[in-house]
Amino acid sequence: MRRVWYIAKRNPLIFPALIIILFWLLAAVVGPSRMAFSYTAMDMDHQMTAPGMGGHFMGTDSLGRDIWSRIVFGSRSILTIALLTSLFSSLAGVVLGFTAGYFGGRIDALFLRAMDIMMAVPPLVLSMVVLGVLGNSNILTLTLIVSIAYTPATARVARGALLSCKNIEYVDAARLRGESHLYIMFREILPNTIGPIIVEVTARFAYSIMMVASLGFLGVGLQPPTPDWGMMVIENKTIIKAAPWAVLYPSLAIASLVIAISLFSDFLSKVVIRDQ
Amino acid sequence: MTFFRPFLKRLGGMAITLVAMSILIFLLVELMPGDAAQRVLGQSATPQAVAALRESMGLNDPVWVRYGRWASGMLRGDLGTSLYMRGVPIASIFWRKVGNSLVLAMLALLFYVPLSIVFGVLAGVKAGKLTDSIISFFGLATMALPEFVSGIILMTVFAVKLAWFPITSVIPIGESVWNNLDILILPALSITFVMFGYVSRMQRSSMISVMNSDYIRSAVLKGMPMRKVIFRHALKNALLPTITIIGMNMGWLFGGLIVVETLFGFPGLGSLTMSAVKTQDTPLIEVCALFITAVFVVSTAITDLLYGFLNPRIRYPGGS
Repeated sequence: MRRVWYIAKRNPLIFPALIIILFWLLAAVVGPSRMAFSYTAMDMDHQMTAPGMGGHFMGTDSLGRDIWSRIVFGSRSILTIALLTSLFSSLAGVVLGFTAGYFGGRIDALFLRAMDIMMAVPPLVLSMVVLGVLGNSNILTLTLIVSIAYTPATARVARGALLSCKNIEYVDAARLRGESHLYIMFREILPNTIGPIIVEVTARFAYSIMMVASLGFLGVGLQPPTPDWGMMVIENKTIIKAAPWAVLYPSLAIASLVIAISLFSDFLSKVVIRDQ
Repeated sequence: MTFFRPFLKRLGGMAITLVAMSILIFLLVELMPGDAAQRVLGQSATPQAVAALRESMGLNDPVWVRYGRWASGMLRGDLGTSLYMRGVPIASIFWRKVGNSLVLAMLALLFYVPLSIVFGVLAGVKAGKLTDSIISFFGLATMALPEFVSGIILMTVFAVKLAWFPITSVIPIGESVWNNLDILILPALSITFVMFGYVSRMQRSSMISVMNSDYIRSAVLKGMPMRKVIFRHALKNALLPTITIIGMNMGWLFGGLIVVETLFGFPGLGSLTMSAVKTQDTPLIEVCALFITAVFVVSTAITDLLYGFLNPRIRYPGGS
């Protein structure tokens, strides 16, 4: 704990990053019920109101909808999907990567070849094409597709982590005791590789937010009227000259969240690396 | 022969990946809900007309026959015809768009490669100092931002407030991208933002590890000027991992183009892919996805081989 504090003092950016993360978490949980405006209410008398006018803290869009309410409400879906995606893809990655690395030989060779093939398409392109083909994305399909697109990367990290401690004595000892493969993998090896895996989950969290926002921007994410940060940007791009705030604030929301989580993940990796 | 062995092995792996990927893309897109013939004729078409068109499009053949026909067409350079644009040959628009994207990608490379190497070296040499902290934070932040967020920020500042560049990057009909280079600046900068983070961080860490090596220490201790140590000795070795990361990101760059081109309305491969997905234009989706995959696979293979040639410490097993 003392060392964590020491590293934190040498990387002071972690403090604003944590505050920003907490802020968005709070906004997602209690924010929507405390908004003065509904996120869908159109107000044709107050189209493209400038920020601060008429109680609209961040102004309104071309349909007179309150930008701030939409951003706060949109934090829910993006945080939910990104969190689930990072957990699912890491879980699938650990299961696949551990199995391949643990048994080695042919299984491992097949695994590596399959991952190479999967990784030959950029994850964004893969998700975009699949979601576009399926049409009408919802939280479930988004989570599922993005998790699958990220699994090859997480599986490789998990495999690498397992290989780094596969031949250590306690693993041999467990094997001699006659423990099952599952026991050795998840009760002996997993706790010893948990550091890099947690770092991977947080890094994946940042990537997922980037991905979900980009998919929303490309129009294959959540469908209206659910407010989505990426979608808000492309919706209002046509009015960027008349109402720059309508695109700038959702962009800044994405920027603040994703940079804060990256800083957090970077910090965590520093803590874990010195641990070893 | 030993010289060619790694090359042939790599080529084989590449071919397997491409074939597997083409099957995957084909199946995925063919399995999508909705009937291609119905889509061509519209909802008001009679069932007889749809059935006749299905027959003439060969949609009643088994999947593997259709895949074989499609794949052999691709190999002969026949990209098929667009569904949405009623029978327009895809090749007539595809390569022009790829050319546009290539110009954009090259300009972005021209921006971010020198920039990120210079700042990466600077951060690596000044590791732990304020200069390093600022560069490292900037790299982390830009790397984390999706392309459209940095694009929007650039657009608001340089196109809306300052009006130095146009907001959209459309090429007027009948003109080529070369007469309209100003429209490329903001899209290229948005890509630069993202790639700067990756490349400069890599350059920084390889610079740090090289600067801590024994031969650098002896160069410093024998009184060689710092500038000479960095440029003549350190940089040569510290560039290797950077070259790898630049090469590995080439395919990724083409993926990132989808977002940037959609944001700026630039007529390239990315916006073509996007509109193909939006209009459910199956043959066009397949061509775009396959092409992006091929770029990625080929650039990764070239990078691997290049790394082997540039780094005498790594020789492939089999070569002596």
